[in-house]
Amino acid sequence: MQDKNLVYVGNSRPIRDAALKVTGQLQYTGDLKFPHMLHAKMLFSPVAHAKIKRIDTSKAEALPGVKAVVTYKNAPRIPYNSAMRFYEHKIPEVEYLFDDTVRFVGDRVAAVAAEDLETAEKAIRLIEVEYEELPPVFDPEEALKEGAPEIHPGGNKIAEIKAEAGNVDEAFAQADYVFEDRFTVPQIHHCAIEPHVAIATYDSRGKLTVYSPNQNTFAFRIIISKVLEMPMSKVRVIRPAIGGAFGGKLEATIEPVVALLAKLTGRPVKMELNRRETMVSTRTRHAAVVYLKSGVNKDGTLVAQDFKVILNTGAYATSALNVSGAMSHKVFKVYKTKHMRFTVTPVYTNTPIAGAMRGYGSPQAFFPQQVHLQRIAKALNMDFVEFQLKNLVEPDGVDPRFNTPHGNPRPIDCVKRGAESFNWFNRPKAVDLGRFKRGIGMAVGAHGNGCFGAHRDVTAMVLKMNEDGTATLFTGSHDMGNGTVTAETQVIGEILGIDPENIECIEADTEATPWNLGDYASRGVFVSCNAAKKVAESVRKEILKEAAILLEVPAEELELVGGWVVSKKDPAKKATLCEVIVNAQKVSQREIIAAETFASQAGVTSYGAHFAEVEVDTETGKIRVLDYVAVHDVGKAINPMAVEGQIEGAIQMGIGYALTEGLEFDEKGKALNNSFKKYHMLKASEMPKTKVLLVEEGEDPGPFGAKSIGECSTVPVAPAVVNAVSNALGIDFRDLPLKPEKVLKVLQRQS
Amino acid sequence: MQLVKLLINGKEYEVAVKKNWTLLYVLREILNFTGTKCGCNTGDCGACKVLIDGEPVNSCVVLATKAEGKKIVTIEGIAEDNNLHPIQQAFIEAGAVQCGFCTPGMIITAKALLDKNPSPSREEIAQALDNNLCRCTGYIKIMDAIELAASRLRGEA
Repeated sequence: MQDKNLVYVGNSRPIRDAALKVTGQLQYTGDLKFPHMLHAKMLFSPVAHAKIKRIDTSKAEALPGVKAVVTYKNAPRIPYNSAMRFYEHKIPEVEYLFDDTVRFVGDRVAAVAAEDLETAEKAIRLIEVEYEELPPVFDPEEALKEGAPEIHPGGNKIAEIKAEAGNVDEAFAQADYVFEDRFTVPQIHHCAIEPHVAIATYDSRGKLTVYSPNQNTFAFRIIISKVLEMPMSKVRVIRPAIGGAFGGKLEATIEPVVALLAKLTGRPVKMELNRRETMVSTRTRHAAVVYLKSGVNKDGTLVAQDFKVILNTGAYATSALNVSGAMSHKVFKVYKTKHMRFTVTPVYTNTPIAGAMRGYGSPQAFFPQQVHLQRIAKALNMDFVEFQLKNLVEPDGVDPRFNTPHGNPRPIDCVKRGAESFNWFNRPKAVDLGRFKRGIGMAVGAHGNGCFGAHRDVTAMVLKMNEDGTATLFTGSHDMGNGTVTAETQVIGEILGIDPENIECIEADTEATPWNLGDYASRGVFVSCNAAKKVAESVRKEILKEAAILLEVPAEELELVGGWVVSKKDPAKKATLCEVIVNAQKVSQREIIAAETFASQAGVTSYGAHFAEVEVDTETGKIRVLDYVAVHDVGKAINPMAVEGQIEGAIQMGIGYALTEGLEFDEKGKALNNSFKKYHMLKASEMPKTKVLLVEEGEDPGPFGAKSIGECSTVPVAPAVVNAVSNALGIDFRDLPLKPEKVLKVLQRQS
Repeated sequence: MQLVKLLINGKEYEVAVKKNWTLLYVLREILNFTGTKCGCNTGDCGACKVLIDGEPVNSCVVLATKAEGKKIVTIEGIAEDNNLHPIQQAFIEAGAVQCGFCTPGMIITAKALLDKNPSPSREEIAQALDNNLCRCTGYIKIMDAIELAASRLRGEA
C-alpha cells in the first residue's frame, strides 16, 4: 500500500483552480449571463402552516416585462423527493414544485420570470394570496403526540429506524451504574458564502440545460426529468464552480422551479436567492432531541449504550431516512462495547427543511455521546482520556452487529497523540481566574467513507492521453473547494508518472462526464480517488502496450517515470510519453483512452480526537476557545495541506455549532436570525490557536491507503468545546448552542 | 437614470445608473467585474469588498453615485500586467483558497492592510478580517497567507 516512494501522492499542493479564484476569473453560476436572460424571483410563504384559499396572479401577469408566473395551479404536479440519489431510490415523495398547502415560513408559493430583477420583484408583490391558516407544530416531540397537527397525510412520524447489537437490556441490568441524559441540538445553516443560484436554458429542440452549483448533477437530472416529464436525454445539468456547499447544495432546491420557468418561456432564466432566503428556504442541519442511556462498570468499562433520537426533519422528508440510516451506523464504529442500540425517529414539523449537512447525522450523535461519557468518567473519578483509551476500538476491532472488521480504525492513536501534543495530563482541567474561568476538554468523533452497505457506491471516469504526454480527465466529481479533483489528479499523476498539473479536468456535467453517485457521504477520496486510480491503471496498461511495440521490449519490463516509459532492465531503452502516444496514433492508429467504473466494496471509518481549552467570561457569559489540537486518522493524506484545510474549516464550523449558531424562530415559526448580521458564525479573531496532526497508518481499501476527512473533522468539535466549558464551570450543559445569555442564566441559577 | 463616471482599476467608465443601484450591482451586472462576489448584500460577509481610495469597502452598501470621483480597485485590478500580486501568490501557496467565493474580498482586505501596515501581527491580521466571512478555511491558512505575503513584500522571503 505505501511500500514505494510516492512522488505526487502525499504532497501538499494548492487546489487546481486557485489561480482563477485569487484573480476573480473563475465563473460561478451567479457570474454567468446569457443573451436575453430573464430574472426570476420566488414568493415564499409568510405563514407556517396554511391552505392557500385563493391565489390571484392576474396583476403580476399584467405587469409589463413579466414572462411567466407559476403557482400550484399551473405547475406540473408530480410528487418527488429532492434528496433522491438514483433512479429507483425509494424515499418518501411529499414535495411538489408548488402545492396548495404551505408547511413552513419560507415554503414556496409562486415564482415569476421577468425581463429584469426589479420587475420580477415587483410582480411577486402583486400576487395576492389568501391563506386559511392551519395549526402549526414546531417541536418534534410535540409533533409526535396524538392530536398534533398533521403536516402530511399519515402523520408526522416518517419512520422509526433501529440498529442493535448484543443484548442491551440485559447488559444494563448487569452494569454497575446506569446513566441517563437528554440532549438537544439546534437547526443550523451551512452558511456557504455563495447563496443558492441556478440558471436554466430551454431551446427550440426542447433541450433543457441547468447550471447549478450543486453536489449531485446526475441526481438533479433524474429529479428534473421526472417533475417536468422530460426524457433524460433532453435534460443536461452542469455544475459551474461551487462557492461552498457543505451538504447544502446536495438536494435540488430551486433548480426544478428555474427549469420550469425556462421551459415555459423558452428563455434563459436565472434565479439567485438572497441570504435571508437561502438561510430558511434551502436546507439546514436536522435539529434533534437525544435520549442517551449508558451502562458502565466501576472500572470504567462501557458495557451498554442506548440512543433514542427524535430527528426534526422540518416540513418535508428529503434526507430524513438517509440521515437517520447514516447516523444509526456510526455509533457502532467507535467503542468496544458489544451491547448497543440506536433508535431514530424522523419527524415532520412546520420548520425549515432539514437535509444533508457536513457530518450527516454524526454531529447529532457524537455531541450527546461525548458529553454524556465525560459526565460518566467524572462520576467514576476517571480521567476522560483514560476512559477513552479503555473503551475505544482497537485496530482489530469489529462492528458488534455483524462481527465484521472495522478496517484499520485508529481512534486510540488519535487520542494518544492529541493528549501528548495538548499536554493533557499535565494541564489542570479547570483554572479559576476570578471573573474568567478556564477549562480543557476533549472528544472523539467518527464518520464513514461512502455509501457501501446502504446502496450502490459508484464513480465512473474517462481518462485520455494527449499527443504530448499530457492527459484529460472526465470526472463526475463536484469539487466544492475541498480539493477532491486535485486529489484525483495526484492519484493519476502518481500512476502515470506525470505532473498532476498536466492533467486537465472536465468536471460534473451530465453530458460531458460519466456517472458519479454524487459528492456526499465523504466519498470523494475513498471512492472517487479509487476510480481515478482504476482508470489511470487502465490507461497505464495501454501506454505500456503501445510502448512495447515502439521499444520492442515486453510490456512487463516497462515502467512510467517522470513522463518517460523506461525499461527496467535496460534504462537506455526509453521513450517519452509523447513518442509513445504519437506512435500509437501513427502505427496502431488508435487513441489511448479508458473508461472505468469503480464500485466501492468497503465501509471503513475515519476518526478524530479533538482537544480544546476555553475561557468563560462569567460576567458576560461569553466563551472563547483559546487553544485547540485536532488529530485525525486519515489512513493516508493524499494532499496534507488540503486535509489540514478541511480540519481547520471544520473547527470553525464546529465551534459555531457549540457556541453561537442555531436558527431561532418566533412563536409563529418565523426565523429571527436568518442573516449574517444576526446568525453568528465565527470570525477570524474568534478562532483559537490551532494545531492539526494526522495519523497515517493506511486503510487498505482506500486509494494509497487514504480515507475521508471533510465530514469527520467537524464531528468532535462541539463536544470537545462543551466538555471544556463543563470543566471550566463545573456545570453540565446538554443543549446547544452555549450562547452567552444561556450561560449567564445557568451561572445565575447556580449562584 | 443618471450618468456617473467611475474610475475602476485605473480606467474610467461612464455608466447610466439608477439612484438606488449599489456599486456592487454596477460592477457585476453592468460592467461585468464579476470577480467581486455577493454573499449577503447587507455588508456582513465582505465577499464584495473593493478598495475605494485605498480603503476596503463592502460595495453592496455603497451607492454607485457615491463612488464617483473615487479610485476604485476590484480583484481584477490587483494583479499587475498579468502577474499575480504577492498576496494572490501567497493565498495560492498557503492553501488559503478553498471554494474561493470569499477569496477576492479577503485579498482586497489584505491589500488594504499591508499597504498601511507592512508588518501586521497575527492579531492585527485577524482584526482586519473582522468583516470578511469564510466558511471553508477557518481563516487559519488565510492568515498564514497574509503573513507570508507581508514577509515577501518586505523582501524577507
